[in-house]
Amino acid sequence: MDELKRLVFRLCAAPGTPGDENAAAKTAVEELSQYAQARIDKMGNVIAKMGKPGAEKHILLDAHIDQIGLIVTNIDKHGFIRVDRSGGVDRRVMPGSPVTIYGKEVLTGIVCCTPPHLSDGSEDKVIPVEKMAVDAGLSREEAEKLIRPGDRILFHAAPKSLLGTRVTAPGLDDRAGVAALIRCAQLLSGCDLNCEVTILFSSREEVGGQGALTGAYSVNPTHAVIVDVSFAEQPHVPPEKCGKLGGGPMIGIAPLLDREMVDGMIETAKRNGIPYKLDVMGGSTGTNSDEIAATRRGVKAELISIPLRYMHTPVEVVDLTDLEDTARLIAEYIKGVE
Amino acid sequence: MDWKLLECLCTARGISGQEDEVRKIVLEEIQPYATSIETTPLGSLIVFKKGAKRPKTKLMLNAHMDEVGMIVTDIMDDGLLKFDTVGGIDRRVLCGRPVTVGAEVGGVIGAKPIHLLEGEEKEKSVPVKELYIDIGAQDREEVERYVTPGDPVTFDSVFDTSHGMIKSRALDDRAGCAMMIHMIQSELKYDLYFVFAVQEETGLTGSRTAAFAVEPQAAIVLESTTAADVAGVDKENRVCCVGGGAVISFMDKRTIYDKEYYQMAFQAAKKAGASCQPKRAVAGGNDAGAIHVSRGGVRTVAISLPCRYLHSAVSLISQEDFISAQKLVCELADRIAGEEQDD
Repeated sequence: MDELKRLVFRLCAAPGTPGDENAAAKTAVEELSQYAQARIDKMGNVIAKMGKPGAEKHILLDAHIDQIGLIVTNIDKHGFIRVDRSGGVDRRVMPGSPVTIYGKEVLTGIVCCTPPHLSDGSEDKVIPVEKMAVDAGLSREEAEKLIRPGDRILFHAAPKSLLGTRVTAPGLDDRAGVAALIRCAQLLSGCDLNCEVTILFSSREEVGGQGALTGAYSVNPTHAVIVDVSFAEQPHVPPEKCGKLGGGPMIGIAPLLDREMVDGMIETAKRNGIPYKLDVMGGSTGTNSDEIAATRRGVKAELISIPLRYMHTPVEVVDLTDLEDTARLIAEYIKGVE
Repeated sequence: MDWKLLECLCTARGISGQEDEVRKIVLEEIQPYATSIETTPLGSLIVFKKGAKRPKTKLMLNAHMDEVGMIVTDIMDDGLLKFDTVGGIDRRVLCGRPVTVGAEVGGVIGAKPIHLLEGEEKEKSVPVKELYIDIGAQDREEVERYVTPGDPVTFDSVFDTSHGMIKSRALDDRAGCAMMIHMIQSELKYDLYFVFAVQEETGLTGSRTAAFAVEPQAAIVLESTTAADVAGVDKENRVCCVGGGAVISFMDKRTIYDKEYYQMAFQAAKKAGASCQPKRAVAGGNDAGAIHVSRGGVRTVAISLPCRYLHSAVSLISQEDFISAQKLVCELADRIAGEEQDD
């Protein structure tokens, strides 16, 4: 688990908002290169090849490399930085939040928060993002020298250990998936496989999945396994929508997911004593699966989800055992492909 | 200016009633320089430092060691922690923050995922009663090995001194503590008393009892005060501005300050070459509220640092304001203690 923790912390410490994934992608390439030749394509995707080239079955393994964040729209006359959201940032956690601004230099900022003494009874209302601002403690002139529209901002929160095998970091959605697939590559390296395997760490999932759309087209696989995060049990959330932290990967069932692959995953989990939970969705999955399954003439796809608490806040939480079990499940499934 | 001392004070954890870590740092810093040090029954430090001359007015300076935070109230069966706030923490800034429970147990204040919010929920900050702390425990039994009700909770934060600012947790009032330590470590013109008070944020009890013990004739309270010069606030509501110099108060919610000392503070600033500004609102309150009514009454003045995002995970002050306030307080102390006038 120590090695997996190191990997997760390293991946989460590298910034990678939609369309600006380079730092995170480079880190992933470095980690992946031990097991497969990896490169970054023109859309910012990481692509790596394993297995048997030209085999009848070609399995794409996808996890998205981007994370939610903020993007600078302009600097106002007082030097406050105006922003928009890049992906579904929860506005409720923004006021008073420490952030990191990736300008010409890395700066600490704070999301402005009106002081309580000015409250007029409406202070519990979350204001629209257009009215929010980030304070870097800079004058307009200084701010304009260091920060440009389009620069990215992330919540400031260092990855850290909780009790046992649980960890917290911003961006575990979906660096947890990336880490699980790097671990999966490690488990597969040196194995004699009957299929071709391509690992895709796709860009821009949080703004629509353009990385997966173009990546899957380029790779042209027959099958795909998408690894993303899903809700873990926590208070105020309906348990039927959730997996359980430490309860193993969630095996997705949805109209566009391939039933044969679902059954194969369930069978693999049972055979190897890997805990799992079924995650049934009536419509689209809200993940890259939706894009990938509909690529070219269609790709047989399956979604495996890692349970995660507090999604889209700066304090996402996962249990490392779920990452390990996800990696094992997928690796065993691929080893069993005939 | 070296900000190591302030960093050390601000990264120490010390909510009201649990100021031990801060007190230890203060003691280490002042022991070689103080004439005498006394710890009061509640935990405040009363420090006496002899100056070159005896004062005409017995003067006490005061800053508080405690900070706002949270406290564990209960452990739930599922291993999550219920908590209450300690001091006037801004409830809107709690949700989604990494925290530390006790000295070193990592935790987070989570929130329901945005994807599962319904209607109104998206538009409202999360009520404190719905919040809890997750330390990654499986169940109550695991928690009980590490945490008990009553343990303090503080935000994880930063300490950043770039571009002339300081961004940190607990600047309220570790900045005041740092200024007093600097004074104790330097040569004084007059004998002075310094109180490092406990429990300001929960009702001024530290300064109330320390002022009783010291029995001063006059007091200077060193504080941080809300600077509302942030985006979305009209100019007339700003109270004071970061970069505008030390803040001098005529009145707040707890205290009407001594009029003569209020004027004297502006003169002292001029003499010391320190920039300053009046606090332009009757808002907030500090240890002066307890000190100025101690025993038969104490003539009191408050000098504050303009501070943005007070009582949240990270606040912001200006380094120049800190230096101005430090110069102003030294000059003002001499004027009050020695009853000195402008030449």
